[in-house]
Amino acid sequence: MAAYIVRRVGIGIGLLVLLSVTVFFLFSILPSDPARLTCGKICTPALLEANRARLGLDKPIVEQYVTFAAGIFAGRVFAPDSPEPIVCNAPCLGYSFSRHEQVTSLISRSLPVTIWLAIGAFIIWMVVGILAGIYAALRRGRWQDRVVLGVSMVGYSLPAFFFGLVVIFFVIIKLHLLPFPSYVSPFEDPVRFLQTMILPWMVLAILNAAFYMRLTRNQMLEALGEDFIRTARAKGLPDRVVIRHALRAGLTPIVTVAGLDLAVLLGGAIITESIFSLPGMGSLTVASVNDSDLPVITGITLVAATFIILANLFVDLLYAVIDPRVRL
Amino acid sequence: MVRSHTRMRVLGLGAVVVLTFTACGGASSSSSAPAPSTGVPSTGTGPSAAPSTATGPKTGGTIYLLENAEEFNQLDPQRAYTGEDLAFFGATIYRSLTAYKYTSDPVESTTLTPDLATDLGTVADAGKTWSFTLRDGVTFQDGSPITCADVAYGTSRTFATDVITQGPTYAIAYLDIPADPKGGSAYKGPYKGTGQDLFDKAVTCSADGKTITFHLGQPVPDFNYTVTLGFSPVPKAADKGESYGIGTNPVSSGPYMIQQYTTGKGGKMILVRNPKWDQASDPYRTPYPDKWEVDFGIDTKVIDQRLIQSSGQDETAMSLIVQPENLATVFADPKTPNPDFAGRAVSDYDIYSLYYWINTTTVKNVKVRQAMAVALDREAIRKNIGGAFVGPFADGAIKPNIGIDYAPTGMWTDMFGQPVPDKGDPELAKKLIAESGEPAPTLTLDYRQTPVAEKTAAIVQASLALAGITVKLNGIESGKYYSTVYDKPNDFGAGGWGADWPNASTVIPPLFTIKGGWNLSKYDDPAFNAKVQAASVELDRQKQALAWQALNKEMMQNVVIIPTFFELQQRMAGTKIDGVYLWGAYGSWPYSRMSVK
Repeated sequence: MAAYIVRRVGIGIGLLVLLSVTVFFLFSILPSDPARLTCGKICTPALLEANRARLGLDKPIVEQYVTFAAGIFAGRVFAPDSPEPIVCNAPCLGYSFSRHEQVTSLISRSLPVTIWLAIGAFIIWMVVGILAGIYAALRRGRWQDRVVLGVSMVGYSLPAFFFGLVVIFFVIIKLHLLPFPSYVSPFEDPVRFLQTMILPWMVLAILNAAFYMRLTRNQMLEALGEDFIRTARAKGLPDRVVIRHALRAGLTPIVTVAGLDLAVLLGGAIITESIFSLPGMGSLTVASVNDSDLPVITGITLVAATFIILANLFVDLLYAVIDPRVRL
Repeated sequence: MVRSHTRMRVLGLGAVVVLTFTACGGASSSSSAPAPSTGVPSTGTGPSAAPSTATGPKTGGTIYLLENAEEFNQLDPQRAYTGEDLAFFGATIYRSLTAYKYTSDPVESTTLTPDLATDLGTVADAGKTWSFTLRDGVTFQDGSPITCADVAYGTSRTFATDVITQGPTYAIAYLDIPADPKGGSAYKGPYKGTGQDLFDKAVTCSADGKTITFHLGQPVPDFNYTVTLGFSPVPKAADKGESYGIGTNPVSSGPYMIQQYTTGKGGKMILVRNPKWDQASDPYRTPYPDKWEVDFGIDTKVIDQRLIQSSGQDETAMSLIVQPENLATVFADPKTPNPDFAGRAVSDYDIYSLYYWINTTTVKNVKVRQAMAVALDREAIRKNIGGAFVGPFADGAIKPNIGIDYAPTGMWTDMFGQPVPDKGDPELAKKLIAESGEPAPTLTLDYRQTPVAEKTAAIVQASLALAGITVKLNGIESGKYYSTVYDKPNDFGAGGWGADWPNASTVIPPLFTIKGGWNLSKYDDPAFNAKVQAASVELDRQKQALAWQALNKEMMQNVVIIPTFFELQQRMAGTKIDGVYLWGAYGSWPYSRMSVK
């Protein structure tokens, strides 16, 4: 197990290096010039050159990458000619001259928002999705099953942006049931935190719960048709024990998908964050892409990829726990 | 000023000449705001926290500005360059030597009034020397006096081009400081100090520190307008260079100071009263609200819905634009709000003119360019992007609300020998192509990849095809459009511009000379350049206006650009805000005249 983990972590680090190199060099071949984007309205050749030097873009691309990579371990200094140079301590993912802030600072401010959004919604959709899926499987063919299938189809079809806007209009603007979303840390103001997050949680959860209802139902139905379940029933085991056995057997694909879904969500729920004005990773990603802000894009890519890599590893480890037949 | 659909809009301003505005069919301000006074008497002899009024606007309360942008583009006074930002900061935290009058009158709002200075400046040496004397009692938010040295230091920061970027660079362009071999200034700013003696010679202070004198490299007849941009004072001890005004709060010289500034979605800026601000030394401003709050990162649809409902806190909120899908709800027509929105919705000129630039290095034949202009279906384009709310059809680069520099060019009436209908005239275009002596060309149109612009590009393609001109489409990612077309333009594309102050000296040279900095058409004619230079230094304002009019017409005859629309803007505020009108100076809210009812 330990050797497996070490091997997977090593592969993960290699992937991150490859990813950062790819992003860096892809950026360098784009047609637009980041120096011109931040040069200002009247951008004479002299001003453009000064701005390019300010952004460090006057160096060869390989040197730029090496400087970036070294900064992760040793830190860097930006704007050295400024009366107060910007000291970026390790791990330094760069400085955003567009947003005037260090990338690690931007991400560390955005990430908790996305984490709270993702985890809260995850808990809701997993509980609702799995319970509803189990219920539908046990009531297969009956009206309860059809209701669950119908609800999941509606939830699956609802576009997030539409649903979010409708919810805001009725709950907040029309009925004044909640104040406008304004994110605060749960440790700072738990009530305001809950008031802000409850609607985005619900919007995100409803859309994902629909998927897990169907997935769980299908997995349960498949497991309930297995020979070992027939044997367990024949031996007179109570229903709740049988269901537990069936759920465990059908859990593997649910765990896989849930882990990856959560990992992807930790990279940012763009639409939900946008509708509810949440300053998370999704919002930061969109803004950075629009601004061609390479340092932030690179930083977000690395962070998001790290989540995916760790989630994959975690899910694989969980397989071995759930299914004793799996050997790592 | 460049037109951008992002928050990278830069500064511009204009004055609506009423008769011309009416002739162009533009909208007028529908606000019922009273004409503001030039100053509000103080209650006592010492510093006062708020203006007192026996009648008229009330003091107190909080006004909210709801923004989709996630931050202000720049807070640094030498880097702020978007019109709305300058209007907001100018009303709250930054003072400048001169400023624009607060009035709903579109002509008067682009005239200057003294701010930090006692008057509009003393000019000498045929426009090459300008002096301003500072008022008594002007201070920063810590109570320290604002001196000539602070204004000079603020001005000098512009020269640190490797740190202070994106701001107006008129100090570099105009001050009598030589260039270096690479074309930049020989003075490298106060951080490096190279060439400091050159700057100290170009900007001098009197012995008592009250009078600042600028020595210019060439006559600048309107330099007292120039100093509204990037010449605000900065205390040297507080300057952090790259970080000034970013993360740390810049030092205020106005009636408010920044209490909080967080960026991103859910971020906000809160301004509270500056206890050291003295109404007696600042008759220009009337800070009625106790607090300003700017809320960032709000979805545009949500903003509109909140203001349409205007309940609770949103009764004293406002935004910067009404989304196209809600225009019919708020306005009966481009001039008139619906009854529910009377007094709180406005439609008027903003600072931008829209056009198509034509790359004159690839489309060299004037007759071909004329054919393109004549064939273009401007009516269909306008319908696609918003209809009459977009604004009246333009006839040149200079917008009517800039004042005396505007005169009709006749481009669509008689310039090409006959009237050109708004939907284009393919037959006339074919005739012009025949006269060119060249076959009908194949051209490439650069356009930004947004749903609306894609449809507009298709309209352009179809309308030129009727004249036999083949158009290939080159879509460019929206955020990278200008940076791409500036360096590697194809044959033509969409653009926009707004004047930096009400003089076409900030329109004609930037758009049509290589040194001007926004010449997307790459037009470079030495004879034309000489005429532009002559107009730029003309001290007789009436003669100068006539020169700009002639140069504008010349560019339309050469079709260096195809003018499309003089843009209008529509905005709304909550039901309990007073002083709602569009301020002609910056095409913005008149922040210093707004109050809570």
